[in-house]
Amino acid sequence: MTQPPSSIMGHTLRRVIFFVLVTLTTLIALGLLVSVFQPDGFSPMELLLLLLYTILFAWICISFWTAFMGFWVLLFGRDRWAISRQSPDTSPDPMAAPPRTAILMPIYNEDSERVFAGLRAIHRSLATTGQLDRFDFFILSDTRDPDVWVEEELRWQDMVRALDGKGRIFYRNRPENTSRKSGNLEDFCTRWGGRYRYMIVLDADSIMQGETLVEMVRLMELHPRVALIQTPPVPVNRESLFARILQFASSLYGRMFTAGLNYWQLGESNYWGHNAIIRIQPFLDYCGLPKLPGREPFGGEILSHDFVEAALLRRAGWEVWLAYDLVGSYEEIPPTLIDYAKRDRRWCQGNLQHLRLAFSKGLNALSRLHFLMGVMSYAASPLWLLFLIATGVEAYLQTQQELVYFFGENWQPVWPVSFAVEMTTVLLVTLTMLFLPKLLALLLLLKDRQLRRAYGGMLGATLSVLLETIFSVLTAPVLMLFQTKFVLAILMRKAVGWPPQQRGDHQTGFTEAVLAHGGHTLIGVVAGVLSYLYVPAFFWWFIPVLLGLGLAIPVSMLSSSMALGRRARQWGLFMTPEETESPTVLRDLEDGLRENEPVLPVLRETPSSRFVQVLIDPYVNALHRSLLPEREPPGKRRRHYLEGLIHQLEEEGPNSLSPTQKRELIAEPETLLRLHALFWSRPPAKMML
Amino acid sequence: MNTLRSSLATPFGPPLLERLQAYWMALGVSDPNLALALSEQTLRRLPDFPEEGEIAARAIIAAGELLDDWLAAALGLPRPSPALTAARAALLSGIVPEWPAALFAPPGAAGIALERLRAAIAEPTPAPSPGSMPAQRIEPLWKRS
Repeated sequence: MTQPPSSIMGHTLRRVIFFVLVTLTTLIALGLLVSVFQPDGFSPMELLLLLLYTILFAWICISFWTAFMGFWVLLFGRDRWAISRQSPDTSPDPMAAPPRTAILMPIYNEDSERVFAGLRAIHRSLATTGQLDRFDFFILSDTRDPDVWVEEELRWQDMVRALDGKGRIFYRNRPENTSRKSGNLEDFCTRWGGRYRYMIVLDADSIMQGETLVEMVRLMELHPRVALIQTPPVPVNRESLFARILQFASSLYGRMFTAGLNYWQLGESNYWGHNAIIRIQPFLDYCGLPKLPGREPFGGEILSHDFVEAALLRRAGWEVWLAYDLVGSYEEIPPTLIDYAKRDRRWCQGNLQHLRLAFSKGLNALSRLHFLMGVMSYAASPLWLLFLIATGVEAYLQTQQELVYFFGENWQPVWPVSFAVEMTTVLLVTLTMLFLPKLLALLLLLKDRQLRRAYGGMLGATLSVLLETIFSVLTAPVLMLFQTKFVLAILMRKAVGWPPQQRGDHQTGFTEAVLAHGGHTLIGVVAGVLSYLYVPAFFWWFIPVLLGLGLAIPVSMLSSSMALGRRARQWGLFMTPEETESPTVLRDLEDGLRENEPVLPVLRETPSSRFVQVLIDPYVNALHRSLLPEREPPGKRRRHYLEGLIHQLEEEGPNSLSPTQKRELIAEPETLLRLHALFWSRPPAKMML
Repeated sequence: MNTLRSSLATPFGPPLLERLQAYWMALGVSDPNLALALSEQTLRRLPDFPEEGEIAARAIIAAGELLDDWLAAALGLPRPSPALTAARAALLSGIVPEWPAALFAPPGAAGIALERLRAAIAEPTPAPSPGSMPAQRIEPLWKRS
């Protein structure tokens, strides 16, 4: 599993260049700020500002130089050390049996129709490669909702029938969802892992082209030292204005960033949890996750398992690559700003836990950096907020100082030194670091006519970048406050309240927007009034932040609009290559969702509740019972408990039971059969449901 | 048939027969007379079942058991077995229209229908091929080993 010395030296050189650039840029910016503060000594507030600025600027620098290196790679062709370009470590044995690969779709209370439409599209795409027989599909359900559970079973059976997938398309629902997604995958690996050489892990909203899947397996076969190849998933398919802006930004800038990440991370890259291929044996050997000692948020179960698994593989000497140039890997993103923040809430705790893991024994330096970068993607928000507050306070303190022109016996006035040039330079450097990557991404379009057209032409793309920049300036302060709230709540072990969650595409209503952003608006107004009254000079610099907070409610509502998203598309704004010319696999998904013609007659009906249907319908009941795992009959106490639930169901109806209680009833075969029999034994007028 | 019906109706009553008939029809028996005959056959088995729960509910379970008997015989499946439950689900999915004709046909006469049924039996998971996944040690830098 060793690499040739030339490539090791080359890899080291790239990293040296990268970190020298990051360090130098940070030091130069820091030097400018120090030159402003130094003449009259450092106050504690100034020292705090310097510390915060150093951390935040270094964070921006990492991002900037990554983008710049990606720009360089894409400008001058492909990276010669990309995993897709490397010469094979081994020549495949033509006599050996082709490897078998499991495509895994871990799901948890997802929209079943979408999940299975996606899998069918992937299956169809894979069939066109002629290599379908080398892949098996696993739907690994951790679903707890009884209605969704039954729906999944029916959709699975329908997919098997429609695609003649018996013995290739599998489904199981875990009785207990221990350790969530990582436990779900571990369950697969320990039960069926020995049948496959590779697994390709998807997310519920992942879509992958068949050719991409085949290519991932080919690359793994050529490079036996590689344990994991991550593809960059491109966001697609959403129609709201918010999602279309994000899709555009991720697509246009993302390709540059991923090329840049690969440039310096090379075989020490990261795992993002899905749309990746994993060699099963090293995963079994080295990726069993322990429970961390201590309480949450830093102890307990490892929540964001992907980074940890990549780090453990690296610790064991395996390579982890980001195949930035592999296309045909897609995902879907939250449709509104509020949904986006909700997703952040889920991810935040897992990423903060990485702070502890970054200082674990035996890890590679880059693995530690991955952990810290994960932490910084959330910790940056409270740090920015602190920086803004500290800047405001410092500006206020400056206004309180009376200027003294004459010192001691000196008869000549000492004019105050202006640091406007230095301060402006600091600001310009920061803004350049933030916004130049957008310009670089746009410049790359000049190189490729086809790509230019795919992004809506040079004019459309330029206008889109401009509008996206304004939009990101407006939403950044809102996300900063959201993330700050999440970080503080997690550190204080407090739950964060949310309005009830809505699934699928939807528009943010006024009440939802006010509940989510009312506090932001209030903070914006108060901060605006205070800064205007007490630090008027600071107020004008503060305007972008204040505007973002003040307009949070209308921006959140308007950007959730699908009509506006479609209108922008008609105007050629925020176009992505996948929108301009939709790949077959995405068209298949769309057609599948639109046509939705199930083979099973029972799926053509839309019952009020699949839970009730599984009790009544002999077919649904039998299918569900046939899929329940074999286990010991319940003990006496358990039987009494289930008996009580049956009586409750008979007397008060299904709505009186919680989803957990419903699940308990249908998870036990004898109870389920008994309920089925009870239903059919009643005269129609006395039927219990 | 009528004599039989009256003799069975005495202990169980006509409502029970009607419920069973409705159940057999829900299982895919489209001929009401056949459904009635199957209901009566079900009731004949009833004394074999333990005296637990409501009699009508026991009769419904007995109907399912009867169906399983025929399925096990036709497909050569052990009973009880998960495969038999899966076979029942396959049969009720409508893969073999008018299934009584196939199940009650003389041996060899319904080969195609039974093959279709066999092919439709769900296989939710493959045979296990287990592996071990030991939990890794993750210790802080400052902890002495």
